[in-house]
Amino acid sequence: MIAVRDLDLSVAGQTLLANMSFDIRNGEFVGMLGRNGVGKTTLLRTLAGLRPIERGSVLLDSRNIAALAPADRSREIAFVTSDDVFADRLTVREVVAAGRYPHHRWWQWTQEPRDAEAIARALSVVELQQFANREFTTLSSGERQRVWIALALAQEAPILFLDEPTTHLDLRVAQQILKLLRAQVEGGKTVVCVLHDPNDAAAYADRVLLLADGGILAFEERERALSAELLELAYQVPMEAVTTASGATRIFPRHPA
Amino acid sequence: MTVRFAALAAMVCAVAAGALLVGGTTLSPSAIGAALLHPHSGEIATIVWQLRLPRIAIGALVGAALAIAGALLQGLLRNPLVDPYLTGVSAGAAVAIVLSISAGIGAAAVPALGFAAGLATAIAVAALARRGASLDATRLILAGVSLSSLFAAIIALVLTRVQGGGSAPAIVSWLAGTLSGRGWNDLAFAAPYAVLGALLAFLSAPALNALRLGDVRAAAVGVDVGRAQWTILASSSLLAASAVTLSGTIGFVGLIVPHLARRIVGSDARYVLAASALLGAALTIAADALSRTLLAPAEIPIGVLLAFIGVPTFLYLYLRDRRTAAA
Repeated sequence: MIAVRDLDLSVAGQTLLANMSFDIRNGEFVGMLGRNGVGKTTLLRTLAGLRPIERGSVLLDSRNIAALAPADRSREIAFVTSDDVFADRLTVREVVAAGRYPHHRWWQWTQEPRDAEAIARALSVVELQQFANREFTTLSSGERQRVWIALALAQEAPILFLDEPTTHLDLRVAQQILKLLRAQVEGGKTVVCVLHDPNDAAAYADRVLLLADGGILAFEERERALSAELLELAYQVPMEAVTTASGATRIFPRHPA
Repeated sequence: MTVRFAALAAMVCAVAAGALLVGGTTLSPSAIGAALLHPHSGEIATIVWQLRLPRIAIGALVGAALAIAGALLQGLLRNPLVDPYLTGVSAGAAVAIVLSISAGIGAAAVPALGFAAGLATAIAVAALARRGASLDATRLILAGVSLSSLFAAIIALVLTRVQGGGSAPAIVSWLAGTLSGRGWNDLAFAAPYAVLGALLAFLSAPALNALRLGDVRAAAVGVDVGRAQWTILASSSLLAASAVTLSGTIGFVGLIVPHLARRIVGSDARYVLAASALLGAALTIAADALSRTLLAPAEIPIGVLLAFIGVPTFLYLYLRDRRTAAA
């Protein structure tokens, strides 16, 4: 479990998010939503132990995340970002192999059989086995996103953080990735994922963390967090709720008639 | 992969053997063989043991050191155009050496001064590029380039002042890069630092593999990014400073050899570092042998020769790649 207590986040001296206290339970899918610039990425990186904490604390199974050695932390938490990269002539397998780093001593050169197994498993989860020897730069953006997820899966960490894994992807690939993440949750992993579309959160997340200026607007079961009222507050646009044929509620910005 | 490394190692041995054969005095392979077995057997043994062997060993060390340092920095800064002199090592060493030659400081003290000044410059550049516990790649490049150009200006100034003076040829020869006039003592001075640098480089290879995917991803898989960056920078600075101290500024090797290495062994930093070391050594030994035979008894500066051969080769490979990619 991740326990956040009295956490403040600031960027360049400006407080972005203040006084946050919440728990992320094991085995749940948390969708994180909020406007651009509200602090989603900053919060996600802080929860993953990748940013120093100025005030408050993040506890991972009651251990302070800031006090964990990097490799110990990375065996618990994997973090997926879609930032672009100088991948040179790296193959897909070589990229994914970086996920085995926390399982080695830092100077260790050799891969062990369990490394190869973990890499193969990760590639098969994202259905990229046949791409293992392809150069990373030849892949499409959807395939690249799956490689980044495979890299995180190769870490074999029980917690997965993902920063906008579906941005820039077409509907089909985005749904593939969300399904894949949901399957990871069904398999026992904890997933915390920054999303842009509230309806993706409604379809795949268990709980939704809604951020607005200065802090948390709501952290609730998805039905309660994804109300038109709360989303209007979060995004500052008029919203309307629509009930689908299957009885589920979906929410959209109110378009001009 | 084993086959490729065996081939590279065999190439280094073959080039070194070839380099033993060439020089001012023509020696038969059997005479060289006999001299190798009996180091104190006379004039031929002296030529082999005191002139040719140290020069080959120095060529190997300089080439390997520059190539490893280049591969490290290209990976660390995620920039294929970076060479080992980027951190100001060569410019710093050059200023110190040029100043000490022109001031008439004894030749024995010059390499140590150059080494110290090269490292000091790298430290200054790193300090300018520091952000928190880690290094900012853009700032590192900017700081390295600006300090280097400041030092280049100082060197130009010194050269105009000493024009016609007795020290000008020594300075120019050092700036163009040369392995002539170096012996076991010079090697013994620089080798420990180069070995330390290489050790740090190889220990950093797994972290370097992760760093190439970006600092955030490296941190996410458990790399202590700050520590890894400082280790890699220290390693490349030690290697470049040892090389510069021995040979002056030899360009091309540190920039191009890592690219050639990646073509042969792929992108994994572990293989790239090892293959760069072997290729860098072979290329430098070969270039040095050519530099003292092509216009014998005159010597072409090895830096000049490497640029003449290397740049067209590289451009050819690069353009061919682009054409293949476009097709």
